Amino acid sequence: MHPLKQFFGLLAVNIAGITQRLGSALTIIIGVTSAVAVLVSMLAMGVGARNEELGNVRDDRVVFSSTGAQGFQSNIPRDEAATASELPGIKKDSAGRPIVSFNAFVPIEAHRRATGVRIFFPMVGTTSNTAELSPELHLTAGRMFRPGMHELIASNACVRQFTGFELGEKRSIRAIDWPIVGHFDIANMHNCVVFTDVETLLTTFGRNSYNRVTAMLDSPAAFATVRDALQADPTLHIEVKREREATEGDFRQLNALLNFVAYFVGSIMAVGATLGAVNSLYAIVDSRRRELATLRAIGFRGLPIVASVICESMLLALPGAVLGGALAWIFFNGMAASPFGFSFQLSVTPRLAALGIVWALAMGLIGGVLPGLRAARVPVTTALRAI
Amino acid sequence: MKFLPLIWSGLWRKPGRTILIFLQVAVAFALFGVLQGLKTGVEELIASARADLLIVHSRVSFIAEGLPLGLIEQIRTVPGVKVVIPVELTGAIYQQPTQRLGVVAVRPDENWQDAFTFHLSPQADAAFRKTRTAALMMDPLAKKYGWKVGDRIPLKSNTQQQTGSGDWTFDIVGTFTDSDIGGGLEKILINYTYFDEARATGKGTVNHFNVAVTDPHLAAAVSDAIDRRFANSAHETRTESLRELAQQQMQSIGDLNFLIRAIVGAVLVALLFATATMMMQSIRERTPELAVLKTVGFSDRTLFFLVLAEALIVCVAGAAFGLALANVVFPFASRFVPGLSMPWVVVVIGLAAAILVALISAALPALRAARLTVVNALAQR
Repeated sequence: MHPLKQFFGLLAVNIAGITQRLGSALTIIIGVTSAVAVLVSMLAMGVGARNEELGNVRDDRVVFSSTGAQGFQSNIPRDEAATASELPGIKKDSAGRPIVSFNAFVPIEAHRRATGVRIFFPMVGTTSNTAELSPELHLTAGRMFRPGMHELIASNACVRQFTGFELGEKRSIRAIDWPIVGHFDIANMHNCVVFTDVETLLTTFGRNSYNRVTAMLDSPAAFATVRDALQADPTLHIEVKREREATEGDFRQLNALLNFVAYFVGSIMAVGATLGAVNSLYAIVDSRRRELATLRAIGFRGLPIVASVICESMLLALPGAVLGGALAWIFFNGMAASPFGFSFQLSVTPRLAALGIVWALAMGLIGGVLPGLRAARVPVTTALRAI
Repeated sequence: MKFLPLIWSGLWRKPGRTILIFLQVAVAFALFGVLQGLKTGVEELIASARADLLIVHSRVSFIAEGLPLGLIEQIRTVPGVKVVIPVELTGAIYQQPTQRLGVVAVRPDENWQDAFTFHLSPQADAAFRKTRTAALMMDPLAKKYGWKVGDRIPLKSNTQQQTGSGDWTFDIVGTFTDSDIGGGLEKILINYTYFDEARATGKGTVNHFNVAVTDPHLAAAVSDAIDRRFANSAHETRTESLRELAQQQMQSIGDLNFLIRAIVGAVLVALLFATATMMMQSIRERTPELAVLKTVGFSDRTLFFLVLAEALIVCVAGAAFGLALANVVFPFASRFVPGLSMPWVVVVIGLAAAILVALISAALPALRAARLTVVNALAQR
């Protein structure tokens, strides 16, 4: 008989026999299910965080920050900011002014609606031309803040998550009342952000420099123009990055942590599930010694036997993977998490589900090798004599 | 005790299976140890943070908003306050933008150490009080940059000197240790008086005041009294103990508790199922042997306990090995939370969980072994 034919014949016998060895089969399925469910839901945190971080990134927006500085550490003096906004490649509005926003950040404390726990959110000083620079920002209530006034607009996430952000409410900062004059939504964003006029913010906090400058480009390709012009000016101590790179830099630590945790925990669980699969398959093979010896005696070859056991193992892992992915999706997809103060929604994507299936098949493959070899090596005479 | 050889030979009847189960248990409890260790470790850190050391900071924002130094006199007059020390914070870099460190400016008044979690030698303390440009640091930082007592270190800061320069130079006079977790390892202590005189802006303000109380039991009352004193003033304060601050700092990790519970649950359920099927399989295969044991006079009860003992030995040994492994891996996994160590209670809980897993998974197979009727069992051959 052709080895391939042998293989399919064996596989059919294996599958037909699964119901008789339900305990062992279930052990494999449950082990794989829990490993995949954990891996997928942990990775869903990383995906969710990335969606939140990069949801509003545009290719034609760039961020200037002081050379080598990370996040809020960046510091750009007013004169350098002004020079940067005049660089070639930056888009101009209808009046011929560059579409640029000077930004400053001050962390302000708020209290969670549900628990009263304190958390810090950024109060962002910005220039009021947000319509051109951030078209993704939509006012949903109230109006824009006015330059020179102590006025705030807050994202709707603030209202949902924290107390004290309703329209007309006043927040006392530096002994000054700052009324909330507007609410806004930014597509794909679930975090609390508050905007105010940057000059007012600098004056209030006695600062003399901005943290960052954000600018719109003529086109995504104009990035090189801006970068080259910036590098040609040795008096400037600032660097320019595409919005995507700047944002990724800001969140590098959080992403590294989430990924580490996901793969650390996921790998350990995968090892556990593989060990369980090996054990169960050994049990299955052992309970079929007579049958396997008979097959060998009537001319079945080693390779098809090994392949059929491995294939059976992978087939048993498959429902585990689907079940695990489904459980992760049911329990965790869309769940709001805010580890380390950064809010996002867990997102179980088809890509993650596929990754879960690949891991499960790998567990099945690795788990099936040793039992498969044992099955192929059943000594015909002793096994048959044991009857 | 006399059954030990019997249990032992039962375990090694199929060495492959026993080793695999052992490894599976070990892996499960290694994961359990690390995750539960993180959770419990954080809780223990919070509990060990001092509740009698108060921090008075601005109600607006701890990070961005300061308080005038002048408040110190009013805080001092609050009953129960022992020492008040002004603290200002800034950041600096050493040589390269990536080498950042925190700068903590304190005024080393009399008994200033009572209001901190720092420990330093009397010599270092004396030198720190005497030298205007003195700096103290923790050993890891000194080691990292090769700093020694007597060195002058140039730092670059966002805080400008009156000359407009952001360059500062400090003289290293000694090292200190910190029993608190919040502040991080990479920080230096400097003199507030010198710092405040030399800086260009923000003169006369502090980030917060550290307050030591006369009696730890008064901490909550003192903290309320301080906040009441400044209520409705231009500088409203919020006074919190180090423990409350630690609680809030760790709150972010608390959000992950649900996930940790879910994972630990999934691990244990999968493990339970695996050990249960394996024990069942083992008993099924050994039915004739068990029948022989019964024939030679072993009671039902003895067989029941023999099977339980087998499961217990594998599970507890596996769990012990896994928890030991977790102990080795733990520093690697906990590097995101400074100061965390593996709590012993987790080892105890882990071993208890292992015993529980063994009992539950072996109960049914053991019962089956105990209920065997000799005739039927031998007839199976």
